[in-house]
Amino acid sequence: MYWTGLSPDEARQFLANKDKSKRDKRMGLKEAVQKYVKDGDNIGIGGFVNARQPVATVFEIARQGRKDLTLSFQSAGLAIEYLAGAMALDDSKNNIKRLELAYWAHEAFGISPLFRYLTENNKVELEDWSNYNMSARFKAGSMGLPFIPCRSPLGSDMLKTNRAKIIDCPFTERPIMLLPASHPDIALIHVQEADIYGNCRIQGPLYTCPEISMASAHTIVTCDRLIEHDDMTRYPNRISIPFFSVDAVIEVPFGSYPGNCNGIHYFDEKHIPEFRTACEKFRKGDPVALQKYYDDYVFGVENFAQFIDKIPFEQLQYVQKIEPSTTLEAAFKVLE
Amino acid sequence: MTKYAEDFTAQEMIVVAGSRTLVDNKVVFAGTGLPMVAITLAQLTHSPGIIPVFEAGAVGPSLSRGLPLSVGDSRTTFRANYLLGLNSAFELTQRGFADIGFIGGAEIDPYGNLNSTMMGEFPENYQKPKVRLPGSGGASDMACSCEQTIIIMVHEPRRFNKKLNYITSPGYLDGTPNARWRAGLAGQGPYRVITTKAVLGFDDETKRMKLIATLPGETVKSVQDATGFELIIPSDVYEFEPPTVEEIRLIREAIDPKGYFVRKKIKE
Repeated sequence: MYWTGLSPDEARQFLANKDKSKRDKRMGLKEAVQKYVKDGDNIGIGGFVNARQPVATVFEIARQGRKDLTLSFQSAGLAIEYLAGAMALDDSKNNIKRLELAYWAHEAFGISPLFRYLTENNKVELEDWSNYNMSARFKAGSMGLPFIPCRSPLGSDMLKTNRAKIIDCPFTERPIMLLPASHPDIALIHVQEADIYGNCRIQGPLYTCPEISMASAHTIVTCDRLIEHDDMTRYPNRISIPFFSVDAVIEVPFGSYPGNCNGIHYFDEKHIPEFRTACEKFRKGDPVALQKYYDDYVFGVENFAQFIDKIPFEQLQYVQKIEPSTTLEAAFKVLE
Repeated sequence: MTKYAEDFTAQEMIVVAGSRTLVDNKVVFAGTGLPMVAITLAQLTHSPGIIPVFEAGAVGPSLSRGLPLSVGDSRTTFRANYLLGLNSAFELTQRGFADIGFIGGAEIDPYGNLNSTMMGEFPENYQKPKVRLPGSGGASDMACSCEQTIIIMVHEPRRFNKKLNYITSPGYLDGTPNARWRAGLAGQGPYRVITTKAVLGFDDETKRMKLIATLPGETVKSVQDATGFELIIPSDVYEFEPPTVEEIRLIREAIDPKGYFVRKKIKE
């Protein structure tokens, strides 16, 4: 057995030596990426497809450049497409070495052009799993267990190339799969609300964010808004990620834009196709549109706020207006 | 008297067929795209008590806030009865809470196994596939652990193959008796395959795909001609009832007016 990221024993030892104090963890996103994202890291990507993905943090990684990365996720879209775009344009600055994944595409917005580009040209190493597998692997990591049993997808070809094992259950004597835990070096998580210590309150689906954070050695949290610690601890049951699992907290409004962030904004149905079309042109051999996209929005700006500044205000207002969920405030008024 | 629609697309027909296959008060674990449209149509016509479950975490939401563009987006969560994350949703399927898994597929074989991973030789070209598809997502988990699965897909010869490039989501595996049970699976396997040409099922003994009904405008021959393997054709194959004016109106005006999943051509 080989481990990508930390082995279960390394992960345990790492946490044993970690400063778990409740301290102010605010810092700039640039500093957080400098400090916690290293070449060769296994990165756990939060969110699900194009919802609540850590887009702002990925923009910063692309600006700084990181190499030999392993990306671990269940289903992802925008965040990894942005990293792949940076790699496609200059793989001496950014490159992805390996993917441990269940799905990479954009659902209603279409398939991923750069996933096809990377795989069909053999530029990344692949390990396919199911959504439940990747989620359960993070869960095993967060539980401090080296593996977790799972019933699916027994019978699938996925088991011929991934590290899952099939054993006869010692109790029922029927076949069952065992999945190795995943302990990424760093988790990238975007949430709606966090406090300065790193406590996170997630609205809507949790996806696998709590498990990814608690399985990883480090976690960078970006949040649409920082809230008072007293507000946070008024509802302890609603804290999805506890402070001692988090290393850096950065308030980044629209940090998962142009994706969907429950209660804050819906997908930007103009901007996602604009980016995806540039990626598709690249796959078909024309890099101009993709280079221009990155020059305009990623490399040509200092930080994520400058990217958001370039999106027409009306367009940002619109994605907020069509977000159908009730806001956090409204939900909590009901409780009080 | 029921009024039938005279003008409808293959995509609309498939949604109607999918909707009519669903039964009221069942828990339906929904894949992205056409399954979400079909579930909404079923809720608005014959089965208001269907309980949709989405793999990103939402259980039993109201789909009244608009068609979700993703099984994890905000529209899947409105007035949900339970909402955690992926682990909790898939744990529900393992435990047996999900009656139906409703999934799409790119390539299928006679035993209802599905491929959504890659085209090309496997395992030789796994690391450099001819065409890379998005991957399993939750479909393989649904195919394994929901009690039954309903598959919805475009009917073309190249999508219906004797042997798959890659088995992503298990159906009846090699079709031998109790193959799923022996593999360790919990769910019973594929119940229906709904395509742009037909409604299909599986023979109780051989587990091979059989024709149940032809969709309007299709014949037994046209369905067989579009299938890359021999179908079992029972004597009681019937013609599927065409979409009603009301069903088509609901799809076009209420459920998917912008044509995200319906009318848009399915990826070729």
